This record gives sequence, structure tokens and C-alpha cells, in this order.
Amino acid sequence: MARWGMVIDLDKCTGCQECTVACKEENNVPYGSPEEQERRQDPFWHKVIAASEGEYPSVNIEMVPMPCMHCDNPACVQVCPAIATYRRDDGIVMQNYRRCIGCKYCMVACPYGARAYNYKEQEEHEYHRIDPPPTRDVIGSWPFPYRTHGMVEKCTFCFHRIDAGLKEGKQIGVEVVPACVEACPAKARAFGDLDDPHSEVSKWLATRGAIRLREQMGTQPKVYYLAK
Amino acid sequence: MKQEPDRLQAGESSTLGSQDNNRIEKPKKKKSGRLLVSRRAFLGVSAAATAALTAGYALKRPGANLIAPPDNIYEETTEEWFATSCLNCPTRCATRVRVQNGNAVRITSNPLSKVSDGKTCPRSRIGLQVLYDPERIQNPMKRKNSQKGKGVDPEWEAISWTQALSEISNNLKSLRDSGTPQKLAIFQGLNSNSVEDMIARFAKAFGTPNVITGDALDDEASKAGEWMADGHYTLSAYDLEKTNYILSFGAGIIESQKPLARNLRMWGKIRRERPNRAKVVVIDPRCSVTAAKADQWIAIKPGTDAALAMAIANVIISEGLYDSDFVSQWTHGFEEYKNLALNSKYSPESASSITGIDADVIRQIAREFADTSPAIAWRGRGATCWPNGSYASYAIFCLNALVGSIDVPGGVTYQQYPEYKEMPEVTEDSVAQAGNAKDAIDLRKKGKFLAANMVTNQAADSIIDGSPYAIEFAIGFNSNFNMAAPGTARWDEAMAKVPFYVHVSPSFTEMSEYADIVLPACSLLEDWAYEHCPPGSGFTEVKIKQPVVSPLHESKTIGDIIFALAYQIGDGVAQSFEDIGDSAEGFVRYRTESLISWNDFRENGVWIGPDYEFYKYDTIFDTPSKKFEFRSGNLEALLKASGYGTVATEDCLPQYKEPEFGGDESSYPLNLVTYQPVMNVANGSQNYPWAQEIYLVMHGYGWMNLIEVNEDTAHENGFKDKDVVWVESPFGKIQARARVFQGIHPEVVAIAQGQGHYADGEWADGIGVNPNDIIGVYYDELSGQSSLFNTRVRVYKA
Amino acid sequence: MELNFVTIEGKSKGYKITIGILAAITLIGLLCFGISYYYGHSVFGSSNVIPWGMPIVLAIYFIGLSAGSLILSTLVYVFGQEQYKPIGRMAVLLAIVLIFGAMISIAVDLGRPENFWRLFMFFYWNNMTSMFAVNGILYGGYFVISIAYMGIILSGSKVWMKRWGCLAIGWAALVHMGTGAIFGFMAAKEAWFSPVKPFEFLTAAITSGIALLIVVMILTMKFTGRDIKKDIVLSLGRLLTVSICVLTTLIFIDKLTHIYAPERAAAMYSIAGPYSWIFWGCQIGLVVIVPLVILFNRKLRTVKWTGLASLSVVVGIFFERYFLVIPQAGFPQHYYPGHIEGVYGAIGSFVLTPAEMGMSIGIATCLGLLFMLGLKFMKTLPEKTEEELVVAAAKLAPPQAETPADASASSEAETSAEVDQPEPAAPETPAEE
Ligand SMILES: Nc1nc2c(c(=O)[nH]1)N[C@H]1C(S)=C(S)[C@@H](COP(=O)(O)OP(=O)(O)OC[C@H]3O[C@@H](n4cnc5c(=O)[nH]c(N)nc54)[C@H](O)[C@@H]3O)O[C@H]1N2
Ligand SMILES: Nc1nc2c(c(=O)[nH]1)N[C@H]1C(S)=C(S)[C@@H](COP(=O)(O)OP(=O)(O)OC[C@H]3O[C@@H](n4cnc5c(=O)[nH]c(N)nc54)[C@H](O)[C@@H]3O)O[C@H]1N2
Ligand code: SF4
Ligand code: SF4
Ligand code: SF4
Ligand code: SF4
Ligand code: SF4
Ligand SMILES: [Mo]
Repeated sequence: MARWGMVIDLDKCTGCQECTVACKEENNVPYGSPEEQERRQDPFWHKVIAASEGEYPSVNIEMVPMPCMHCDNPACVQVCPAIATYRRDDGIVMQNYRRCIGCKYCMVACPYGARAYNYKEQEEHEYHRIDPPPTRDVIGSWPFPYRTHGMVEKCTFCFHRIDAGLKEGKQIGVEVVPACVEACPAKARAFGDLDDPHSEVSKWLATRGAIRLREQMGTQPKVYYLAK
Repeated sequence: MKQEPDRLQAGESSTLGSQDNNRIEKPKKKKSGRLLVSRRAFLGVSAAATAALTAGYALKRPGANLIAPPDNIYEETTEEWFATSCLNCPTRCATRVRVQNGNAVRITSNPLSKVSDGKTCPRSRIGLQVLYDPERIQNPMKRKNSQKGKGVDPEWEAISWTQALSEISNNLKSLRDSGTPQKLAIFQGLNSNSVEDMIARFAKAFGTPNVITGDALDDEASKAGEWMADGHYTLSAYDLEKTNYILSFGAGIIESQKPLARNLRMWGKIRRERPNRAKVVVIDPRCSVTAAKADQWIAIKPGTDAALAMAIANVIISEGLYDSDFVSQWTHGFEEYKNLALNSKYSPESASSITGIDADVIRQIAREFADTSPAIAWRGRGATCWPNGSYASYAIFCLNALVGSIDVPGGVTYQQYPEYKEMPEVTEDSVAQAGNAKDAIDLRKKGKFLAANMVTNQAADSIIDGSPYAIEFAIGFNSNFNMAAPGTARWDEAMAKVPFYVHVSPSFTEMSEYADIVLPACSLLEDWAYEHCPPGSGFTEVKIKQPVVSPLHESKTIGDIIFALAYQIGDGVAQSFEDIGDSAEGFVRYRTESLISWNDFRENGVWIGPDYEFYKYDTIFDTPSKKFEFRSGNLEALLKASGYGTVATEDCLPQYKEPEFGGDESSYPLNLVTYQPVMNVANGSQNYPWAQEIYLVMHGYGWMNLIEVNEDTAHENGFKDKDVVWVESPFGKIQARARVFQGIHPEVVAIAQGQGHYADGEWADGIGVNPNDIIGVYYDELSGQSSLFNTRVRVYKA
Repeated sequence: MELNFVTIEGKSKGYKITIGILAAITLIGLLCFGISYYYGHSVFGSSNVIPWGMPIVLAIYFIGLSAGSLILSTLVYVFGQEQYKPIGRMAVLLAIVLIFGAMISIAVDLGRPENFWRLFMFFYWNNMTSMFAVNGILYGGYFVISIAYMGIILSGSKVWMKRWGCLAIGWAALVHMGTGAIFGFMAAKEAWFSPVKPFEFLTAAITSGIALLIVVMILTMKFTGRDIKKDIVLSLGRLLTVSICVLTTLIFIDKLTHIYAPERAAAMYSIAGPYSWIFWGCQIGLVVIVPLVILFNRKLRTVKWTGLASLSVVVGIFFERYFLVIPQAGFPQHYYPGHIEGVYGAIGSFVLTPAEMGMSIGIATCLGLLFMLGLKFMKTLPEKTEEELVVAAAKLAPPQAETPADASASSEAETSAEVDQPEPAAPETPAEE
């Protein structure tokens, strides 16, 4: 079984945020409003944060794209009472909207702020995708196009692409990648099987020392960063 | 653990499965079949909560809580992909759009495009929100309120296309009948290349020299600089892919510089996709995203880039680091240039006192620049949109020649353009000829604007003064100068003064507030057009713009509008538009079929020209000496022709001339600079929530722009981060939240461009401020370029 | 001493008005809940940074009070401290009402309250590594145990009282430690993360439980025209003193370990950050300093002053909960070395929205309502002594003096809305930014 992971090369990354927009576009994630941003109720499955250090003129500002880290030891899964968030065998930490009771415990537990709560009913837009799941049996966590308020959402590593790609016998990580990886104009992101030494991610990881965010949390994230 | 819940789902699905069938058509009408099972369970828990739940259930908006896809989705979903192109900035990238059930649902890059290596910038995707912007102009409308002004409600009244077009063409006809076609002004914002071509043709056939484009808000000084050196009045292209060193003078390489998508792609490539990683040094008064991502950020005192460039030349020449082969063989005027550069005025030490950059740092970057080959000196608007910006542009561009980075892999290249099918000559009738012979109202090529092709901002003053003659009628195609040009109040006054103004664009903007008639134009996803890439890639690429959905509301493509007007006006105007396709679609086909078959073009979306060839030294220099000129023969000839008598050598050399500032240093100690953040959609509107919510990535805020100042500056002026402050210039003052941080020169106030709208719609109006409200009207006189960064301000707590 | 317990009549006008007012406010709360269910939690003040709001503040506050009162009631039934007998039943009633309130609070704070049952799919569809799931068992069990306990007490079986009491006390302790674990085990919320949290919670529970009982007892006795037993109040006051001291020690240890640790930003945020005034003013001021000053002062050993000290504790612990759930959760996470700019690095903000406040107040009044109904339908109050009856009769106008039953009913005319404490506590919550 594969263990999906992502590598983000901060030296290639341009801080352009196309990943953020592509994720919204791909997953019909609603947009916020000035008021919601002020109150931090706007949903993001992916964000690009800026972290600064130093004083003028030797400041160092780093822009760090952050999807869900799909932790191997996910704090969110550990605390979810309803098994609404769970780790799949391939390492993707999934969210089942049908089971989620909206207790927000997982949001409290996640050390990466990766989870967003759905604060209001989603407005429907013409541009929302209506991709049906591959089979009719998949009812529940398929992200399109319906969502309801009162539940927690997060990045799914675009599992729908991966699942569909596997069914079609495509090469995951080469032919089929998550939306944010596909969109990245700098090709600063790679996706693939961390256990496969020939996968794109393993190759990237072999080039330079990689870091993971907040390793001290013991969550074993599967998103790696190659530093500048 | 995984299995159990699935059982649960199966059990629930019967109650949850029933969904509405018409979701897409009528999004608001949906039934909910949920809650039966769970409600019963809940009853046992709390009587009170259950009652509330029932209340909630009864209140429940229909359509909530649908999670499972409706059954019919499998049968009913149709899906298509279209190749088209973006127009959210002048880069015009090739895109593909996915259309489900007649709705555009996804925009992505076109992998066949070579310019950006099959990538786009984030704003390409925002095209969806441009298309479905709820506040688009829906149908032709006429103004009922005869009063015009900022904040005055035009009192729009819907009219038919027929009425609108005949009213406009009658007016235009009478202009021609009275022999004053020059009294028509055409304003042109960001338009497709094909529309630009049509507008130019229309203006010429009609007889007006007054096509006012936004070019002189843009990059004219930069273009003039290159023209002085090599005769190309254009932006420079760089072979980014193979360069090893980039020295950026105020160019937002990965946030704005054209062609942005290509720059973003190449950034990844030059950093880690080749064995040798390119070094990037950014000279900018503020730590832009480009600077933050670069290897070195050098904070410069605004307006002094030319001094820095000359000092770099000083180091390179005095240390003998220049490419003597190229210089001796292919350049002209090196001796004069050398003498000037070695002048003590440009020693690193004295340049240091001008620019505020350490002499050692100047030496360091000069040596690196000369030693790392190929290297690029890249001038952005930050260095050139200044009084005397042409000279600054020239000075920076010359550095490339100094190290031999001209037309070599990894250096400056010469953009190639596609050869569309030639159109028949314009039929210029006698009326048109008389009109075309008049001076343009923007005074281009006249008086102080010697070399200018366009002096956008002068048009406002000319209209207000009614000189050289009054403008009676104006049409604006996608323009928004009331927002984009410094001194916005002048444009408000000018537009109120134009007796009849027609605004053609997909969405309302500040300029459309002054229109007598607005016409709904197609947005980028409904339009027919061809586009080619701006300078950047070297080789050329033509992209199609074709409708992916049928035009929403009553919008029409600008091409069709121009054809209709031309035919209705008749005479030479109508004749000029015969046999060139007869419609927007036909025009695109007519012009491009010589390059690529129509079917292939529509299918692939792009046509790519031949690979770029380097080292064309014997053909590329369009100068009197047919060489690269450190002493500009082109400029000398122009000055001579303009009656300057004897032209001093100094006037023809790249150099630092201290720019004029708006406001005196003692009462306005700080310098206001603006920049275009990556989420600034360069199409006049900002009514796009996806862009708005992540507008300022460096600052971690959206939905605003901020008054960015250094911590020391804030401390001196007695305010803190997040305080609301006033920025006051001699020309006005604006108020917004302060952003106090370390990444900015202490003498500088920075404000992101693109906010402060008041006529766009829910997601743009009232958000942030427009710095152009307080920027003074200054020019780089040679090129007519508006100066944007030379306004002095003071900042204090509100 | 053989005590007889009675119900109150509940026919007086005051009683009815009070019930009416409480019911009305409860209905408003219900409406607020309906609104939140309809529009989503956007009508609440919670955010992606501070996911939990007032309902959770109330929930853990109620759980604390409940566990505290239950533990106290076992003094009578397990440890044979007979002097507390008059209030034993009331303590159990209070415990039941409060745990019920806590569960409602949690239910209405869920995004999908109709899925509340999923919390109680013990082991089967629950993930037992979740402290929520564990607490589902603890709370559910606790609810059942305390109801049974009440039944046993009402039935009067001494042996079972003792046995069941032992179970109840242990369970109550677990309940509150479990609640503490919800917060204390969250490594991601640095201001919470602490092994001491379960014990701190337990001690805080006992402290607030004792204090609440003192307050409720004084008020109930007063408004039902019974004598307030000074010795009970004072000895409860002594217990309160002890538990405050223990609590103080735990708070001290908790903060100290965090300030010593290399990552001390979160602890410093708690004690010196923008919201630290709540910590110093309410947690330390109202819970520790004010009551200890009163309780250690011999001259102030009166019913009134002990009552005031208890009130201070009850209010103070409420703010302690508030501080924990809201401001402390807002401490920004350090995703990446350096200062995180903008919203992602900002301290979370919280708005007290009308819907959330209405709902919270509604929950509190609902509990008041239940408590009053409990007094009416369960024999919880000690029978009035002869003296009390005489006093009561004397107070009344002659016409009704013949019928003692009526007399006792009428004396409740003075019953005020202030029967239950949480209700005034909630509206006092200050608005956070
Ligand atoms: N995202 C985005 N991209 C765009 C556009 C857009 O609106 N948004 N517009 C497109 C268009 S029309 C154009 S013309 C291009 C323009 O692209 P650029 O030429 O890159 O222009 P700006 O984005 O305005 O960036 C100007 C930079 O110069 C800096 N600067 C200001 N004063 C000085 C100075 O004195 N010296 C130096 N060295 N630097 C200075 C500013 O801080 C800022 O970082 O971008 C294109 N791309
Ligand atoms: N202070 C300051 N001022 C500046 C700048 C700066 O950096 N600082 N930058 C300057 C620069 S570089 C420029 S280029 C100018 C730009 O200024 P302008 O040339 O005036 O262009 P925009 O304001 O972008 O207006 C574009 C128009 O296109 C329309 N439009 C939007 N989408 C579409 C579409 O899909 N199809 C069609 N057909 N039309 C569409 C919009 O309604 C709008 O009317 O601003 C300049 N002003
Ligand atoms: S990043 Fe957060 S949400 Fe994602 S798996 Fe890890 S703990 Fe869970
Ligand atoms: S909010 Fe949903 S996913 Fe998160 S812990 Fe609660 S039930 Fe699990
Ligand atoms: S992997 Fe998919 S869901 Fe996750 S951030 Fe990327 S686009 Fe969004
Ligand atoms: S899309 Fe790629 S380059 Fe842009 S911010 Fe995301 S990771 Fe960085
Ligand atoms: S660079 Fe310009 S044209 Fe290309 S995708 Fe971005 S906004 Fe569109
Ligand atoms: Mo521009």
C-alpha cells in the first residue's frame, strides 16, 4: 500500500498562492468575506503563511504553503470521537462529513491549523464543480458539490483524483497529482508514494535535507519542506 | 474501524439519498430529506433541545445538508474542455476551461503553451469569478441623470442593443459630418490584441488620432530606455531559463512583471531544476515577495536606481570586468559612456550617498553581475516610472550590454511577433484624413513629450482645458483611468465634462459611472480574440480566445460591436471593415488562418512560432550605427529634429538625473511607492473574492490594502501596527490601517495598488484605498510615462 | 437527628412568576439555538482559532459544579457527616440538574446536534482514544448514576446509599478529571497543555461545588422561609478554604512548570498577555484572594460573609473557565520559525454574539427551571421546624393562618428568580474584543 506524501520546495516556491486558489476551485471551498476574515471564520483547505525574522535591512520573510500535513500520527484522528476523521491505509487523513458531529475537537487538536469549520450554508455558484464520485456507493465524503454548515473540513490530498487515477491505472504522482500540485507554476510541489524510492517525492527528498513543520508535536507529518 | 461506519452509511443512505433533480438549473430550490433517523435519537437526550431542533428543522433552509450526490448526476452531467486564454493581465496566457452542463467550472493551464511551460498565474482561475461576477453589466443602459460626478447615481435605464448602437453611430456620424472626427476620443484599457488591432483600424478609418491607451501609465519609460540603446521601443525580453544571475531594479518578477506566468515557471526552473542555481538580487525600497524569495534584498532610496546602475558600471569598467569583445565589436559610444561612468559622481562611495546602499554592497553586486554569466539587469516600473525614467531605464539596460548579455542564451532577447494575415489598407476618406492630421490631445511627440507614443494622463488635462480642441464624444473600451491614473480627481472632472461618453466593458468600474451609455462586453471566457505574448519568451506564441459558454446576459464581444458601429457609420469606415471577417469570430479566423488551420487553432488553443535564434547582432540593432549604442544616436536625432540645435553629448548618455519630487522634503519627509500584488487582477475590477481574501500574502491579510511603513518610521510618527493613519501628500490625503514591519526602507510608505474601488460591486467597493487619489501628476517627459512613485507624503495617526 | 424531607408546594404567585420568567428566557434560548441551527455557527463568536465558545464554557462550568456538589453530598451519605444532612438531597438534585445542563450545552454547541447520539455509541462507533468519547461514557454514566443515587436516597436505603455513594464519588472525580483531560492533553494548544489540568479541574470542581452549595443553600433556605444553619455554612466554609488552598497550589505549579520550560510564550501570554487581567482579576482575585481574605478573617465568620466569599468563588471559577476556553485557546500557533504575519499569527478574537449569549442564558435559566421543578416534585428540602412555621405564620396576614400547609406555600411568595446561581453568572460575562 502506498503512503502518499507531499514535498514542497521553498526555494522554488514563489509565494504566488495559486495552490490556495486551485484548491478552492477544485474542491468548491467557499470564499470568505472581510468580516469573516476578521473573525477568522473563512474556510481554507490550503493557506500560504508568511513568517518573518530579523530587523531592517536584514529581514528574512518566508512564505510557507500549508495544506493538511496528513500526519502519520494525526492528532485530529486521535481526538475525533465519532471516527469522522480517520487515517486511510494509504496515509490520507480523511474526513467523513456524514459522521462528523461538529464538535470541533479536531480543530483544537491540530497543530497546523489545517482544519476549517463550515460556519454557514454554502452559497451555490455556477462555477461549482459537480463531479460525481466514481461509483454510486461512495456516499459520504465525496467533496462535490454539496456541503453543509456545522462540520469540519480540510484538505483531502485530493483523494478523489488519486482514487479515480488508481482505478484508471494511472501513475499517481506523475500523471495524476492533487490540484495544488498540478497548478503550482513554479513546480515547487511534488506528490507521491513516500515508501517508493523511485517516486517523485522520494527523489526530491534525496536531494536536500528536508524539514517537517512542528516535529516536536510528534504528529509525523507527511508534508515535507525543502528549505531555501 | 473503517468498516463499521460504512455500515452506518448504508443504513442512512435511504433517508439521505433523495435529492433534488434541478440543482444546477435552480440552485435555490432543493428539498431536504434528512434528519429523520437522527432526530429520533436526539429526542432521548434532551426535551428542550429537541423542541429547538424541531424549530430549526422547520426553519431549515431548503437545500441544506445535502451531502450525497443526486442519482441523476451520472446521467445528466455533460462535460467539455475548451482551449482559450486569460486576460486578467497583459500576459494573456493560454488556458483550458472545463465546462459542465454549460457552466464553466474550472480554469487551468494549457499544457501546449510554451511561453509559460503549460502553467498560469493564480489569477487565471479567477476568470470564473470574472465571468460569473454577479455585478456585471447585464444589458445596454442609458443614463437618465444628466448630472455627472463621483457618487452621482447615473440612474441607469435598460435599452435595446439596436437603440444603443444607432444612438452611438448617429452621434459618431454627425461628428464626421461636421468634419471634426478628431473630437472622438477612444480610451483603451486592457484589451485583447485583436481588439486593439480593430480599435486602431477603426480610429484611423474614422479619422481620430485620439486613441488613448493606458500605456503611459505603464511602461513607456522602460521602452524608451531600450529604444535609446538599440532602437526597439518596447519592453525587453529576457531568456530567463538559462540565466545565472538576475539583478532586478524594481521589477516584481514573481508578483507582477510581464509575462508573469512565465516568470513564475522559470523561477522554479532556475532555482532547482538545473545543476547550477541562479542567484537573484532584488533592488527595491520594500521587501517585495520577489525580494523575500530572492537571495538578497537591497533596500534603495526611491528614485535613485540610475545612480546605482551607473555606479555598477563604474565598478565593472574600472575593474576591467566588462565583456570587451562584445563592447568593442557591437557597441557604439563606449568611450563617452566610460568617461561618464568613471566620473567621481558615480564612484561607489558617492553613489552610496545617493542611493543609501553601502559602497561595498555596490561593489559586491557589480562584481557578481560581471563575473556570473549570463546575467540579466532587469528594470521594472519601480525604477523607471519616474521623472527622467527613460534615462534610468537606459542606464540599467546598458549594464546588460556591458557584460555581453545581449541576444545570448540567458540574456536579453528580442521578442518575435506573429505575422498575422495582412489586412487591406484602411480606406481613409477625406474626413478621416483631415482628422488624422490633427494633433492628438495627449500632446504626444509634441513639446516636452518628445519621444512619446502616448501620454495617457495628459488626456485628462487636455479634456478639462478643451485644448488643443474639445472632445465631444468618447468611447472607453475596458478602460478605468479614473482609478488607475494618478490624480484621479482630474479624470473625474474630465469625464464629467465629456458631453457623451460610451463605456464598453463587462463590468461596472469607476469610469463607467460617467457614461451616457454602457454596453455589456463579453468577458474573457465569452470572447473571440487572438492574443500573442508580450515581450518575454523571445519566440512567439498566438493564443485563441473563444467562448467557452454562450455570452451571459446580453453581452456582446467588442469585435462585433466595432463591426456594427463601422457598418452603421458607413463611408470609409464601413469600407475599412469589409472583407476582414465580418464578425469578431470571422476576424480572428481571417487573421490567423495563415498561421494555423482554424480547427487546430480552436482545438489546441495555441500556435507556436519558430524557436528563438540568438546572436543576430547584424540585424537587431535599429540604431544609426547599427550597433548597440551607449551614446544614443536615436535620441540625438530626435533632439535635433525637434529643434534643440546642438545636442550635448551628456544628453545622449545614460545617466542619473535627480528626479523631481511631488512635495518638499521638509514637510513631506516620506516617499510613497505603490506596487501591484500578485492577486491584483489587472482588469480594472477587483470584485473577485478569491483574489480579495488572500490579497496581501506577505502581510497575511486580505480584503484590504495597508499603509506599509518601517517600524522606526512608525515610532517617530507616533503610531503602532494596525492603527488607522492618514497619509497626506500635497495633493490630498487618504486613511487606512498601518502595517508596521521591518521589510521596508524607513523613508518609504508603500501602498498596494488595486483597492479603493467604489463602483465595482460588493467584493471591491469600500475595501482599501486608492493611492492614485493622492499621487501627483508628473511625467517622464521624454516618453510621456506617468511618474507613479515620486510623491512625498507624511503619515500620522488618525 | 431524624430529618423529614418535603417538597415545596409551588402554588404561590412568586413561584409561578419565577417559573414563567425562567421558562420565557429558556424559550428565547431555544430560539437562539434554532437560529444557530438554521444559519450555522456564523451567528456564534467562535472561529477557526477559538473553536469553542460560551456553551463549552458553561458545559465545563456546570460539570465542575455538578461533580463538586455530588462529591459533597457523599459527605453525608458515605462519610456520615450528619451535620450536612439537611442539604444532602439538594446537593444531589443540583448535581443532576447541572450535569444535564452540561450535556445540553455540549449538544447545542455541536455543529450537527442531531448527531449528538454519536457521542454515545460507546466503543462501537466511537474512537476511544478521544477524550470526548471517553467523556461520553463518563457523562452518560454519571447522569445515570446520580439519578439512581437520588432514587436510592429518596428510598432511604442506608446501605445502598453508602455503596452507591462510593461509586458516585469516584465517578464524579473521573468525570471532572476527564473534562480536564480534554484540555490538558492538547499539545497543540500550548496554553492548555499540562498534566496538572485534570487535577486542577477536579479541585476547581470541588471548590466551586462547595461554594455553589453554600450559595444555593443560603438562598433556598431564605426564600422558602427556613432557618439558615450557621454551623453548616461555617463548616462548609472551612472546607472551601482547604480546597481553595489546594487549587492555588495546583495553579501555581501549573504556571511555574510552563514558565520554566523553554517554550514559555504561551504561559506568559496567560499571565501577562492582553487577556491576563481575567486571570489575575477573576481567577486569582475572585477565587483565591477575596475568599481567603474573608474566610481567614475570624471577624467575618458569619453566614453573610461566608456566602459572599462563596459567591465570589462561584463567579470567579466561571471566569476561570471562560479564560481557559476562550482567550487561552486564542494563543497563536507557531507553524514556522519566526513571527507569523497577519491573521495566521494573530491572537484569536472572540465576539459575544446575541445568539450565543441568548442560548447560554437560556441554558442557565433552563437549569433554574429544572431545579425549581425538582424542589416541587422531589422531597429535597428538610421539613420546616416548628419555629420556622410559627415565624412564617406570624409573617402572614391572619386570614390564612389556620392552614399551615398554605402558610408554607405562601411564604414562598418571596421566592425570587435567584434560586439558581448560574443564571446571574452568565450575563456578567464581559465582552471579549
Ligand atoms: N499581479 C499583477 N500582475 C501584473 C499586473 C497587476 O496589476 N497585478 N499588471 C501588469 C502590468 S499592466 C504591468 S505594467 C506589470 C508591471 O510590473 P512591475 O514592473 O513589476 O511593476 P509593479 O508591480 O508596480 O512593481 C513595482 C516595484 O517597484 C518598487 N519600487 C518603487 N519605487 C522604486 C524605486 O525607486 N526603485 C526601485 N528599485 N524599486 C522601486 C515597488 O516597491 C514595487 O515592488 O505587471 C503586470 N502584471
Ligand atoms: N499608483 C499606481 N497606479 C497605477 C499603477 C501602479 O502600479 N501604481 N499601475 C499602472 C499600470 S501598469 C496600468 S497597466 C494601469 C492599468 O489601468 P487601465 O489601463 O485603465 O486598465 P484597468 O484599470 O485594468 O481596466 C481594465 C478594464 O477591463 C475590463 N475588463 C475586465 N475583465 C474583462 C474581460 O474579461 N474582457 C474584457 N474585454 N474587459 C474586461 C474592466 O471592466 C475594466 O474596465 O494602471 C496604472 N496605474
Ligand atoms: S495536519 Fe492537522 S488535520 Fe491534518 S492530519 Fe495532521 S493533525 Fe490532522
Ligand atoms: S468536529 Fe467532526 S471530525 Fe472533528 S472531532 Fe468532531 S466529529 Fe470528529
Ligand atoms: S491536496 Fe487537494 S485538497 Fe489538499 S490542499 Fe492540495 S488541492 Fe487542496
Ligand atoms: S502554487 Fe507553488 S509557487 Fe505558488 S505559493 Fe503554492 S507552492 Fe508556492
Ligand atoms: S499571468 Fe496574466 S494572463 Fe497569465 S494567467 Fe496570470 S493573469 Fe492571466
Ligand atoms: Mo501596466
